[in-house]
Amino acid sequence: MDPAVAIVWILRLTFLVLLYAVLVGVTRVLLRDLRAAAREPGSALGRLVVIASEVAEPRSATVFDLDAVATVGRDVNNTIVVDDPFASAEHAVLSFRGRAWYLEDLASTNGTYLNGQRLDGLAALAYGDELQVGRVRFRLERPRS
Amino acid sequence: MSCRLAGSGSDSNGPEADVLSSIAHRQASGWLGIRPRFRRRELGLLVLVAVALTVGSVSLGTTRELLAGEPLRLQVAQPAQLAVYLAALAVAHLAQVLAGRRTDQVLLPTVGLLGGIGLLLMERLPQDLAGSVFGDALGLAGAQLIWLVLAIAAIAVLAVVVRSDTWLRHYKYTWAAAGIGLLLLTFVLGQESNGALLTLRLGPISGQPTELLKVILVVFLAGYLSEFRPLLVEQSTRIGPLQLPPLPYLVPMVTMLAIAIGIVVIQRDLGAALLLFTVFLGLVYVATTRISYVLIGLVLFVLGSYVAYRLFGTVRVRVDIWLHPFVDASGDGYQIVQSLEAFARGGILGTGLGNGLPSVGGRLPIPAIHTDFPLAALGEELGLAGILAILGLYLIVIERGLRIATASADDFRALLATGLSMVVGVQAFIIAAGNLKLIPLTGITLPFISYGGSSLTANAVVVGLLLALSDQGVEPPPSPRPAGRDVHWPGRRRP
Amino acid sequence: MGTRGTGPGRSPRPIGVGIVRLWLVLLAAFAILAAGAGYWQVLRAQDLVDRADDPLLVAAARQTVRGRIFDRSGTVLATSRWGPDGEPYRVYASRALAPVLGYASSIYGTSGLEQAYDAALSGVSSSDPIDALLAKFRRDRFRPEDLTLSLSLPLQQAAVRLLGTSRGAVVMLDPRTGAVLVLASTPTFDAGGIANPGTARAAFSAAAADPGQPLLDRATQGLYVPGSVFKIVTAIAALGSGAITPSTRYAQQPAAETSGLLVSGFRVRDGHHLFTGSEELDFARAVEVSCNIYFALAGLATGGAEMTAWADRLGFGAPIPFDLPTAASQLTSGGGSFGGGFRDDVELANAAYGQAETLATPLQMALVAAAVANDGVLMRPQLVTRLSGAGGVTEIAPQVWREVISPDLAHEIAAAMLQAVEGPDGQRFTAGAAVPGVPTAGKSGTAQLDGSAQPHSWFIGFAPATHPQVAIAVIVEQGGGSTRASPIAGQLLAQYFATFRP
Repeated sequence: MDPAVAIVWILRLTFLVLLYAVLVGVTRVLLRDLRAAAREPGSALGRLVVIASEVAEPRSATVFDLDAVATVGRDVNNTIVVDDPFASAEHAVLSFRGRAWYLEDLASTNGTYLNGQRLDGLAALAYGDELQVGRVRFRLERPRS
Repeated sequence: MSCRLAGSGSDSNGPEADVLSSIAHRQASGWLGIRPRFRRRELGLLVLVAVALTVGSVSLGTTRELLAGEPLRLQVAQPAQLAVYLAALAVAHLAQVLAGRRTDQVLLPTVGLLGGIGLLLMERLPQDLAGSVFGDALGLAGAQLIWLVLAIAAIAVLAVVVRSDTWLRHYKYTWAAAGIGLLLLTFVLGQESNGALLTLRLGPISGQPTELLKVILVVFLAGYLSEFRPLLVEQSTRIGPLQLPPLPYLVPMVTMLAIAIGIVVIQRDLGAALLLFTVFLGLVYVATTRISYVLIGLVLFVLGSYVAYRLFGTVRVRVDIWLHPFVDASGDGYQIVQSLEAFARGGILGTGLGNGLPSVGGRLPIPAIHTDFPLAALGEELGLAGILAILGLYLIVIERGLRIATASADDFRALLATGLSMVVGVQAFIIAAGNLKLIPLTGITLPFISYGGSSLTANAVVVGLLLALSDQGVEPPPSPRPAGRDVHWPGRRRP
Repeated sequence: MGTRGTGPGRSPRPIGVGIVRLWLVLLAAFAILAAGAGYWQVLRAQDLVDRADDPLLVAAARQTVRGRIFDRSGTVLATSRWGPDGEPYRVYASRALAPVLGYASSIYGTSGLEQAYDAALSGVSSSDPIDALLAKFRRDRFRPEDLTLSLSLPLQQAAVRLLGTSRGAVVMLDPRTGAVLVLASTPTFDAGGIANPGTARAAFSAAAADPGQPLLDRATQGLYVPGSVFKIVTAIAALGSGAITPSTRYAQQPAAETSGLLVSGFRVRDGHHLFTGSEELDFARAVEVSCNIYFALAGLATGGAEMTAWADRLGFGAPIPFDLPTAASQLTSGGGSFGGGFRDDVELANAAYGQAETLATPLQMALVAAAVANDGVLMRPQLVTRLSGAGGVTEIAPQVWREVISPDLAHEIAAAMLQAVEGPDGQRFTAGAAVPGVPTAGKSGTAQLDGSAQPHSWFIGFAPATHPQVAIAVIVEQGGGSTRASPIAGQLLAQYFATFRP
């Protein structure tokens, strides 16, 4: 075969192979994301651990598995009931949006604290952050997978 | 805003670490001082794309020289154009790195490869096809390159700048009105091309408004359906065995249908009507998961098609050509027969870029090859292998879009991302299936590959919005309200 | 845990469910696309590429200078000239060639030999896919080949001239090789005008509108009632099957001459009893005076099945393999139960002397004469004898097509046909066919048509009768008696011997 023709052939086929190389590369990224996503649903999205409590409910070391939304307050309808006069009836709400946790203070009388700072409105949380409602301190932890 | 110090997380520790450091960076530096965030995967894929396009370009250039009777010399077809295009992709990448957003890293390389394949195709077609003052001066590939650079710029700008969706979410009726207005404007001022009223010309700028219309309608539908989703699911109007959506909420849907039919009647643009209607049905289904709505839509579609078939000559001719193209292979069936023959000549591995039919005698067998039949040209030159790769690239765009949708924080974003990815996927399907004689041929563009500014910019807006939506770390969705207080909350992640 | 207002009725399903289903639908849609691409690019690829309207051939035809076409003595019959648009167009040596060569037009495509040998003439030969692939990279991408024909331009022109304004056809061939010397069909048309892009539309519409149907090549595709020339076919069948011998006589024949031979109520009539009286004719005399009754009886003796079988050996019943498309000649329309497709003995008796449903092309009848001339061996007719191009020269050798009858029987028939031209009574029917100085064998025919139309005038024959070099078939449509065809044959044969006699 004419070398010129052979080289054109090789170029052609290389181009096709490279198209597939891109596809394979992309697919690997997709699969990695899928595996990461597969771990999420079904299990809890995070855990709220009571690290210190001066009230009867919740007690220290209690662990709450968190769903997408968890409300915190004195009212019994809350997801996490803080039986403390220093807590408002509807005190704060924890929500998982996208891939991050958010904490919002619901205009509570005594305020919600995030890592020792009084929270003003909405803030994103990271795992390991400490929050305080009334006289109960929580730590947000990764879900057990 | 809390004051948590940055630096606790490193980028290599998986998605959670990403989340942490993202928040940490932002919280530490505030909105103005943006920290760069490296996009390793995007960079890797873009390098691969650049290598692939360079090899493709060398393949094209060398084949061309050889066909012209020159001795063998490895040569990039249009070095300047390739360089500009790759530079544009690099700049878009850098802009996103500097913006530090955690947007999707797959869409840009995928779309970049599709656009690059389109550019290579335009480089190998006769340059006088462009057919406008602007296009004639630059040549087909030159004009396409400018549009591609603008499209990539649009993607980058949207991906970097759009941090809030309120401008889309809260003005859905305004958008719908704008869409209908655009349509009416085309009706009044539009210009005819190929028997369809498609082109809107305002001074020196001309474009095809249906391309933009599809994005606008997706925005409207996402807003409308996300607002009324619970009601559409909970209530229904029963007429005999038929389960219709609640009647008051039918109105916008009927309007949608009317618009789709209007496009057929006024513009004789079957492809756009089919696209909009399919996207509409898909979104209604995703929002309600009620197959009965889709079935009602399909029945209406079949009825509408039948009426259109009886009433409009164009429709009848299209369908007849589709059913029996070989009967009049040199007349009405010419385009589709030529398209099929091009696919056939390509076989499995193709003839190689630049070695397809138009190089024989320099005549184009398919008149609208650069807009309506790029897939046939690619089928000839890249073969079945190339076609499957291109279909795979479209599937990746769709998959990414739908993943962004499932990961979205609320219904509006989920429906918006679903609709946007459907726009790309369904449009690619309609024209590819038309080229392959699976459905009647409609004049619609192949996203990212076909020649034309309207198509490229509209699809760039789609990708840019998808990228912006893919970043969940920045703008939280509207405040969720605690239990018992409010009607609904996004349905995802419910055990 | 979940905190969600749930209204009456159902609550929305997670939106992810719908999205996943949508993804599956889109995935299926794209799988269909992939299957569609596979269908056209793999399964149907070969069919589509082989289509005659394949633009590769069309484009090649437009751009490349087609190969030339020569006659047997090297005279150029077709060549190309450069047009004002920078594309070559075709010019032809004579209008007389139009039905044979056809035309190659950028507007109207190709016809005739230009169509049959399009791939060779335009140089796109797809016989070798690897070579075709490599050819794309060569500077001289297409390698057109020249054709050399066995045709003789002077004889072809003479045939057309002799047919004059009549519609008709002449086929002349060498019985020893099957090489065709004349393939004339009138009226002719302006193939050069169709090939020239400047005049193409006018020339084509003139040819298409001509009531004489010049675009039909009568020599290969015209189907005519053969009349008495068909008696040679009956002779071959009757003698070949042993139904008669050269000395067979029919006692009832002389008596039947005046009132007609009654076959199941139908009377077969004759017109020669004025000179033969009550003579009981043998085979040679029956050919000489063209006795319908003798051949009707011979045909009935042979039987329908044998008649059809022998006719088929001569090429009836199917298109003749040739360089140009041919129409299939027929003995009967078929479907009958009498044997060989005949309805009854009346049809068979009439077919035996070339009436009834019998139809033949001039080429077919020339082959009948050639088979007799060549000792009963039928050569495959050929027009193109050589392909020559950059890739070398391909000679196309003569081929035996069929061995029809034994040489002895062929000689008997040849002798009878010689008598039919040279014999004292035969001359009455074939006046003008005899070539001075060359013993000429032949058979005339007057094909009766329905209604009051003038009969077709036929002649088939060969010469010299002893060692035949050339066979001929002439038909003049509605030319009256055989007086039209015989002199044309005679003059063409004379011109042949004047030109080619060593």
